[in-house]
Amino acid sequence: MSEHIRYTRNRREFLGDAFCGFGALAYGALEAQAATNPLAPKLPHHAAKAKSVIFLFMAGGPSHMETFDPKPLLNQLHGQKRPAEFGEAKYQFVTSEAKLLGTKRSFKKYGKSGIEVSDLLPHTAECVDDLAIVRSCHGDMVVHSAAQYQLMTGRIIPGFPSMGSWTVYGLGTESNSLPAYCVLPDPHGALEAGQPMYLNGFLPAVYQPTTMRPGNKPVLNLGLPQGVQIEERTKTIKYLKAMNQAAFAGEDNELEARITAYDLAFKMQMEAPEVFDISKEDEKTKEMYGIGKEPTDDYGRRCLLARRLVEKGVRFVCVTSGGGPGNLQWDAHDDIEENHLRMAKQTDQPVAALLKDLKRCGLLDQTLVLWGGEFGRSPESQGNKGRDHHNLGFSMWMAGGGIKGGTIVGATDAIGLKAIEKPYHFRDIHTTVLNQMGLNQHALSYMHLGRKERLTEIEGMVIKEIV
Amino acid sequence: MRTLLALTICLELVASTVAPLGKYTAVERRHWAFQPRSNPILPKFESPADKRFVRNPIDAFVLARLHKAEVAPSAPASKEVLVRRVYFDLTGLPPTPQQVQAYVNDKRPDAWSRLIHQLLDSPHYGERWGQHWLDVVRFAETDGFEYDTHRTEAYRYRDYVIRAFQNDKPYDRFLTEQLAGDEIAPQEQESVIAAGFNRLGPLRKNAGNQEVASSRNEVLTEMTNAVGAALLGVTLGCARCHDHKFDPIRQSDYYRMQAYFASTLENDFPLTSREDRTTWEATIKPIDAKIKKMQGEMAKSDPVTQEAIGKQIAELESAKPPPPPTLYSVKNDMAKASPMHLLARGDYAAKGDSVGMRPMGIMLPEGTAEDKDLQQPRARLAGWVTSKENPLTARVMVNRIWQYHFGQGLVVTANDFGRMGGRPSHPELLDFLANEFVESGYSVKHIHKLILSSSTWMQASDTKNVKAATDDPENKLLWKFSRRRLSAEELRDSMLMVSGNLNLKQGGPSVIVPIEKELLSALYNPTQWKVTPDNNEHKRRSIYLMVKRNLHLPMMEVFDAPDGLVSCARRESSTHAPQALELLNGTFSNEQAEALAAKLAKSSGGKPEKMVDQAYQLVAGRLPSIKERLVAIEFARTATPHEFALAMLNLSAFIYVN
Repeated sequence: MSEHIRYTRNRREFLGDAFCGFGALAYGALEAQAATNPLAPKLPHHAAKAKSVIFLFMAGGPSHMETFDPKPLLNQLHGQKRPAEFGEAKYQFVTSEAKLLGTKRSFKKYGKSGIEVSDLLPHTAECVDDLAIVRSCHGDMVVHSAAQYQLMTGRIIPGFPSMGSWTVYGLGTESNSLPAYCVLPDPHGALEAGQPMYLNGFLPAVYQPTTMRPGNKPVLNLGLPQGVQIEERTKTIKYLKAMNQAAFAGEDNELEARITAYDLAFKMQMEAPEVFDISKEDEKTKEMYGIGKEPTDDYGRRCLLARRLVEKGVRFVCVTSGGGPGNLQWDAHDDIEENHLRMAKQTDQPVAALLKDLKRCGLLDQTLVLWGGEFGRSPESQGNKGRDHHNLGFSMWMAGGGIKGGTIVGATDAIGLKAIEKPYHFRDIHTTVLNQMGLNQHALSYMHLGRKERLTEIEGMVIKEIV
Repeated sequence: MRTLLALTICLELVASTVAPLGKYTAVERRHWAFQPRSNPILPKFESPADKRFVRNPIDAFVLARLHKAEVAPSAPASKEVLVRRVYFDLTGLPPTPQQVQAYVNDKRPDAWSRLIHQLLDSPHYGERWGQHWLDVVRFAETDGFEYDTHRTEAYRYRDYVIRAFQNDKPYDRFLTEQLAGDEIAPQEQESVIAAGFNRLGPLRKNAGNQEVASSRNEVLTEMTNAVGAALLGVTLGCARCHDHKFDPIRQSDYYRMQAYFASTLENDFPLTSREDRTTWEATIKPIDAKIKKMQGEMAKSDPVTQEAIGKQIAELESAKPPPPPTLYSVKNDMAKASPMHLLARGDYAAKGDSVGMRPMGIMLPEGTAEDKDLQQPRARLAGWVTSKENPLTARVMVNRIWQYHFGQGLVVTANDFGRMGGRPSHPELLDFLANEFVESGYSVKHIHKLILSSSTWMQASDTKNVKAATDDPENKLLWKFSRRRLSAEELRDSMLMVSGNLNLKQGGPSVIVPIEKELLSALYNPTQWKVTPDNNEHKRRSIYLMVKRNLHLPMMEVFDAPDGLVSCARRESSTHAPQALELLNGTFSNEQAEALAAKLAKSSGGKPEKMVDQAYQLVAGRLPSIKERLVAIEFARTATPHEFALAMLNLSAFIYVN
């Protein structure tokens, strides 16, 4: 029995204005589906602006000073110690002796909004009128694993459900042939926080993510075992169903649900591979994503796949850039130039292509795109070319899904050390994501160990400047 | 409804805030769980039908409640159903067709009681019930977080738990050893291993600048919260940052409880000489240095070179000699005791008033003083937890036992007996069982025997009772037995068993099974996954598989096995498409199907009728119904033996216990 708390009194009322075809479905039909399929679509708490989320997760922590937050003073102070008036910061590696590091990037104004973006991201810059850049993000942790947990689950320890799991718990999915929540990790390897950051925590396993990997078998167990023919398997499933139905008489939701699960699995097996197969996209589209050429091929493919997934009603997709040893992430301890130029070249064009493509398909309005990492980077240098982790002020952006494009919110101080104007914590990012999906942070809760747990441990704010 | 609830909570909050600091209001004192256990009066029955149902006091309490709701209990399940149910219940394994027959044909009047005793004595009982405890204490064998370092000695604690259940170790002793084994019997390996309980939580380590105070605070938090959730069934952890919002647990209670752990430090007790350790460290050091250097190179090279280096690193890793054996446990060091303060918002840097050791105030007379200068602080805490007068400990444990027999506890929130938790559905029954538990010398097996010999437990699960199904769809009143899905471990173990592959070896270091290459890439350090070389080991019961916090086996994950990160009070039971994909297409299930197909071909001589009957007896513990047989024979005639066997492992009749 789900303990999902909703404002039931208003449930029917929401039908009228609820988004995305919910209104067309009869209330009774929703209820009936939910009895045997826990992932059947559910009504949001309030009218939704977005029906899907794509999180472009820049793992390792991209620098705000090299991307969306120009700091001329930093270049002037290059090589000096941080002036005392900026206050203190704790880092994982650098000490109080470290010197400030100016940036080699140059910034230019783009679009009608005239927002400044660095030359690291020329493609993304072209879409700046669709972006709402939050320059005043902050989190609590300065080490990868704990910061990644906080970004994904709202807690600095593992074991709590991720944004994706919460979203699916709240809304179900609109696709019955695809997983509701997909994670597309970087093929270079895993991240410090590992699997638990993407997971369902204490929520039932039905809300767990499906990981899609590169290669011919993106989803484990979706393909038939070697040597088994599809005709053969179709027959097996048909008889399995008949034997299961022969075993019980009358209504039994649980056994009914198990039969439905096999039907869904079969549907998924038959229909999903076609969605995963991007070869049928036209050449122009593939070219736009940078597919078929390095270094954009991999991230381009995954971004295109993300579009295909949300198009089919998948609720939450996480496309991770960075994996394996730190320097294969945005974790530029040794050399910010070398690392960020490389990571940006892999992702910039695909990210911009995704935004343009979503727009072209009319999907951007209903798809919330979120970009960012678990923290930013230090204004001080590590070694003489690198930057350490930094959680007190950094940038993330959102686009689509009812977000006001061409907006800048908040500011860090003159050297990019601390978020000083309208600081927004990860919990505010979470609250905003939920809000756009029609979910309320308090109503979306689950009883666990005596607490009504939710994504935001401490109440978050909707970033009202951008919605 | 919601508003009403909120209002009630508000009123109660107002009531509790008028008390002076540290004191408790009458409302708080009155909460049911903190009351001494009562001596409930056994309900009496007159009608012959009622008298027949009441086989022991459990039935009397259950029937009284059913009468009140005007709902009739269900008829007993058939012998075939009961024997399969009790095998899974006590051993987590299905009975063989011979075992089913042996019981069905046993006409002695005490056949049932003999079977219960036999299963309680079976070595597999400890494996099944040990798993329940491991869920509660969030047992895992790695640190979690970035390094997810393997705790190669943690399996000893798992074996300790299995042995404790197997030998029916008195529960008060069981808890005392876990809290304070190193204090009360430092010379006994068993007790020292048990105290590893205090080190079971995840552990964060990081490179670079260390935050010693913050890390120590995290360790102490893990120790304290476990006592609340696992032993006392109170959400003590909620009072870490502020006074508990709903229960009478002050923030001072939290840190006073934590004070018992102030001098507790992680310790590995060596089982071999110091020289052994030194020699091992000297052997490892150059290898580790080499690996570190290679990892540095790896980060800078192209994917092809990376793979090659990765392979070399894996080889180096596996060539490392294992560390000399130790006991993974804790010890006191009074000189290094962490000073205890109230911490505002739980922040280690925001120190408030200093506090000393004391159990939770709500369970003590007003104004009870703190404990001073204890040499064995955790033994003192254990004494309070296991005191016969402690109203929570026995109730919490009998409720867990009840839950694992019936699928849900008399209190549905097994880790939370507070105001936000469930109220007992049968308060008198709960107290009766708790009294029995204490008076039997905290014998878990005594409670099993009571429950398993009750009519309540023996009811059928497929009863048609429209009134009951409408009034009490969740079966809180126990008008039938609730059908349940097999847990992840039961399912895996049963598949191995019916296919004839199960290796029943007990105990010892944990097994690492081979997994798909794609899954390994989910590990930050894939070289940690060193597959156990002996293939026979891969077919052991699931409780002996390595529990790695950062990598869960898909089979375990899709069937709701807990993540080992927080205490799991009760397993979820999801039903979703990835389960079907795992059971139809997964490597493991297809391997078992292959073996089952061969087994069936051999025993049936390829005759479809015989094959169908034998298959049902193996997987469902019974012959197929006429309807089932018709469909199954038609299928068996045309399907490959593999597909037929695979379908049998996917039958609801296999996956559920009636």
